[in-house]
Amino acid sequence: MTAYIIRRLLYTIPIVFGVLVLTFTLFTVVGGDISLEIAGKDANRQTIDEIRKEYGLDKPLFLSWDSQFVNHLKNALTFDFGRARDREPIIDKIKRGIGPSLALTVPIFLGVVIISVSLSLVVAFVRGTVWDILAVVICVAGMSVPYLSFILFGQYFLGYKWGFFPVFFSPYLSLARNVALPVLIGIAAGLGGNLRFYRTVMLDEMQNDYVRTAFAKGLTMRRVLFKHVLKNAMIPVITRVVLAIPFLFLGSLLLERFFGIPGLGYLMVEAISSRDYFVIGAMTYISAILVVAFNLITDICYVLVDPRVCLE
Amino acid sequence: MNYGKKFSSFVGLRRMDLVMAAIAAAIAFSGCGGSAPDGDSNEMVLYHVLHTRIKGLDPGDMRDVYSIMVGSQIFETLYDYHFLKRPYELIPLLAKDMPEVSPDQLVYTIKIKRGVYFQDDVCFTGGKGRELKAQDFVFSIKRIANIKYLSSNWSLFDDRIVGLDEFREYTKSCKSEAQVDCSRTVEGLTASDDWTLVIKLTKPWPQLISAALADISTAPVAKEAVDYYGKDIISHPVGTGPYKLNVWRRDSYIELGRNPTFRGELYPSESEEGDAEAGYLDDAGKPIPFADRVVWTVIEEYQPTWLLFLQGKVDATVVPKDSYGEVMTEGGELTAKMKQLNIQLKTFPDPSTYWLGFNMADGVLGNNKPLRLAISRAIDRQKFIELFFNGRHLVADGLIPPMMSSYDPQIKQKGYARYDPQEARNLLEDAQVLYGAKLPTLKIAVPGADTWSRQFGQFLERSLRAIGLEVEVQYMDLPTYQEKINTKSAQMFASGTTAGTPDGQDFLSMFYTKNASPGPNKFNYSNPDFDRLYEQAEVMGDCPQRDELYRRMEIIVLEDCPAAFLNHRVGCVLHHDWYKNYKPHAFAYGLSKYRRIDMAKRAADKELLKKIK
Amino acid sequence: MPKGGSLLKDGLRRLLKRKLAVVCLVVIVSYFLLAGFIYLAEFFDWRIGPTLWPEQVGESYAPPSSKNIFGTDIFGQSVLRKTLYGAKVSITVALCASLVSIAIGVPLGAIGGYFRGFVDQIIVWLYSTLSSIPYILLILAFAVVLRDKSIFGHKLTGITAVYLAIGLTSWVGICRLIRGEVIKHKDRDYVLAAVSYGCSRRRIILRHLMPNVLHLVIIDFSLRFVAFIHAEVILSFLGLGEASRPSWGAMINDARMELSRGVWWQMAAATAAIFVISLALNIFGDALRDSLDPKLRIQ
Repeated sequence: MTAYIIRRLLYTIPIVFGVLVLTFTLFTVVGGDISLEIAGKDANRQTIDEIRKEYGLDKPLFLSWDSQFVNHLKNALTFDFGRARDREPIIDKIKRGIGPSLALTVPIFLGVVIISVSLSLVVAFVRGTVWDILAVVICVAGMSVPYLSFILFGQYFLGYKWGFFPVFFSPYLSLARNVALPVLIGIAAGLGGNLRFYRTVMLDEMQNDYVRTAFAKGLTMRRVLFKHVLKNAMIPVITRVVLAIPFLFLGSLLLERFFGIPGLGYLMVEAISSRDYFVIGAMTYISAILVVAFNLITDICYVLVDPRVCLE
Repeated sequence: MNYGKKFSSFVGLRRMDLVMAAIAAAIAFSGCGGSAPDGDSNEMVLYHVLHTRIKGLDPGDMRDVYSIMVGSQIFETLYDYHFLKRPYELIPLLAKDMPEVSPDQLVYTIKIKRGVYFQDDVCFTGGKGRELKAQDFVFSIKRIANIKYLSSNWSLFDDRIVGLDEFREYTKSCKSEAQVDCSRTVEGLTASDDWTLVIKLTKPWPQLISAALADISTAPVAKEAVDYYGKDIISHPVGTGPYKLNVWRRDSYIELGRNPTFRGELYPSESEEGDAEAGYLDDAGKPIPFADRVVWTVIEEYQPTWLLFLQGKVDATVVPKDSYGEVMTEGGELTAKMKQLNIQLKTFPDPSTYWLGFNMADGVLGNNKPLRLAISRAIDRQKFIELFFNGRHLVADGLIPPMMSSYDPQIKQKGYARYDPQEARNLLEDAQVLYGAKLPTLKIAVPGADTWSRQFGQFLERSLRAIGLEVEVQYMDLPTYQEKINTKSAQMFASGTTAGTPDGQDFLSMFYTKNASPGPNKFNYSNPDFDRLYEQAEVMGDCPQRDELYRRMEIIVLEDCPAAFLNHRVGCVLHHDWYKNYKPHAFAYGLSKYRRIDMAKRAADKELLKKIK
Repeated sequence: MPKGGSLLKDGLRRLLKRKLAVVCLVVIVSYFLLAGFIYLAEFFDWRIGPTLWPEQVGESYAPPSSKNIFGTDIFGQSVLRKTLYGAKVSITVALCASLVSIAIGVPLGAIGGYFRGFVDQIIVWLYSTLSSIPYILLILAFAVVLRDKSIFGHKLTGITAVYLAIGLTSWVGICRLIRGEVIKHKDRDYVLAAVSYGCSRRRIILRHLMPNVLHLVIIDFSLRFVAFIHAEVILSFLGLGEASRPSWGAMINDARMELSRGVWWQMAAATAAIFVISLALNIFGDALRDSLDPKLRIQ
């Protein structure tokens, strides 16, 4: 078991390296000449050249010790992200945005997972009946209605018309008040797809022989579902759940935008549209680290839940 | 509920579950500090909305409108526009009087006001702001010239002030911004004593005051602040103005507070006709600023902005295109609902022009005047304005907007912007003949792929397809667009500009040969007659002869058709009744100091807003 | 005892017995036919129905009426026609992306899961790296890189690049799933039995393992199809979607502004179109899975 874990740990190194190579290539190939942009609308040749020097863009790409790629690696490994285009240190931006993003995504995530996993068991119970079909229809409806609609209607009715929640982020209110409405909307919008998925997983599992045996033995439905089916269905559930966690840090773009939550999702898209590669690079790197970490956790969970995985 | 036990089978999840819940709870219950807005009844606070975040508060490198809007409340310049007088008039702000100009128009001597202090800040010894001196202006301009500073404002001073370009050359040899010796003498930029600034120009520059000394880039910056803060100066503005920075939450909101050591100013007593009736002189002679705090919230989407405005949490907003029906009637008046809520409307013409530009360096378009004219005739500008701007804007019959003194009142009759599809088709045939083969599909570059841009692109496609010309609209993000334009690789492009000064030169400089891409002349247009007139006008002050020259230049451009001019913008702003002294101004930004909230009215109106939803 | 037959024939027979599934199949097929028809119509330049979408049929933003069932948009174009035309874009995106991701993901997952060892490690490394990078970024990057390039002499337009980009980034999910299942099944008795009587590895994978994980592929396909249709909506939001032609994503995106002036019909039409095919795919996917489940064969 320990050997397994150590092996998995070692695997993370090539992955992180792969990410660094990929992001670097993407930025330089995709990048285009950002110095033109930084120089502003009517700059002349000299200012542009000066900017290239300042940002190290005039160095060779790969082949020297001082190449851009090597610097990229160096910066990543020391977590020195430098400054964004607007000269604020990137690490400050990230530190600032992480709180609000998590305050938004974590409750949504928990709400969706708990509700949809529980409901999926219930639905698996009533499979084949009209309730099942109804559930499917509602889920699909939930999945088809654009996220945008949920937000627009939610904001208008629950925020403005009926005044239950604030319409937009206000620094004078507590964070809890500010994220209440977007969290609600996020859960409502996310239930459909997740419920569908978990229902499939549960149904799949229920077809196994041991389930029939359990019923034959006289166990109650509740016991069968929760004690046996759930545990065995864990692999796909864990896969989905745990691997979604790293992306919680990226926040939810639309919710943040419409409700003014100053999180990281919004930062990311801003950075993309203004071609702020320093920010994009930093956030990609962090998310890569997180994904790698959680992959590791997933694999460990696999082993705990299904020991067969270890035998190789 | 026994689910707790059942969930014990969530092996890995359970522990994570708890950890996550703990984190979430911790975050949720840490509210933000700061006082609630409505509860504190004695404080006067202005609430505005920004539609995109501001980039920074360092005047030397400020170029985007929103940063300038906010920064202008903190920083002041030598000269500024009078708030109420029209036509727009420049008055001394940090200067004592209008400058003394030498007969050859090359030397400007400017006296600085005494008793102006920088705000208190830790960068000064003892934390107390020191008095403003003429040397501060010298420093600020040298800073922009410093190539290591990477200011995007340098183009304003390029080849203008004696010795400044040499200074810039010198800075190239320095290793970094900090190493530059700013006490190095620049002949054309000196302080003959603590209160006198002397500027020597390389050639006459009539726009020195309006384009440079009234522009926020020349706002004085204290050397102590630059040395103390370094690169962080963009979030630590140290100015002389009526407000200082309280909080700047970068992507979220920005709050300014009253500057306690502000020298004090008075609300103007002079105005133009009609201002007294409109209530703009109610506060004449009173000390400003009135508001204790000014808050800008960053909201990118229109629905939340509009809803907040309707709730009274925002004082003023632009009328969104799609809420237009709710706000205005067919006749251009406020609807009954708006009037009931005591909401006011202000419309004002913007000194702007928007166009579909042609790249004269392009093989197909550059030499084919009938083609360009055909495209121009094919666009129904009136319909365009109806569809996209609710009919509010003005058709651009020429290049220069109506509010400029050089505007030609007869320009509409000259018919350069007429919509004539039949003529367009004929011209297209001529164009085909001239080209010698079937015309290829032309490409139009549009900066943006949002709804508005797409609809605009479709409008252009439809208009041109109707006369038989196939075009392909390429939607791209702003950086790609700028790159394409600057490298002269776009065929046609949608763009526009707003004048920063009442001078028409901003529009004409876009057609001067020497300004070709990456300069302002994105059309890569070149006409020696035009250039000759331009150089003549460049050194003339504001006078009827210059207006005449401008008009002649405009005609040359319209004849050559390097662009199809579409519209001049008309701004349309809604504000609540309690937001006083809001008179739209086309050029000045530092106007928050004049605004006043009628607190009693606000309380009353807010009740009204709650009831009528 | 029912007559024996191959799994597929058997499954099909069972499937057709369920009326609901058949209805859904018809719906799905008609969407595909519609898309195909539009392609044909454009190729042969037939001016009929959806291809006539640019025609102005009414006032700007006319509400639904007997003349125009779904009303009109800003240029007075028929929303009904635009919705029908939108099927072409959405089906194309979903089909391309689904096929690309299944073509890459399934084989890689199976190979990795079965052989383990070094091959597996490479595959895991590959998809881990790709999935570490935020989706939006990857799509954007691919779309930009692939733009203006050509494949087999056929120039790639912006939107085609996006289709490919989605496919290339989406194979990870199915790959992981297949790999997980193959690992689970690999040590089951029936596989060990096959190995013991000398079955070749290829045969084991194709004839023994695949059918047991196939239903997951199918369900995944039907769900993913829906996800790709939705991805088109998101891409429109980011400005990457089809810009010059109508698409459901563009229509929904425009609704952000339109709803505040009370124009709800464009969003409603596009949403309805997406809802119907999503529902059909979901129900059909379920029915298919039930029918193809080998365990249910001997009923």
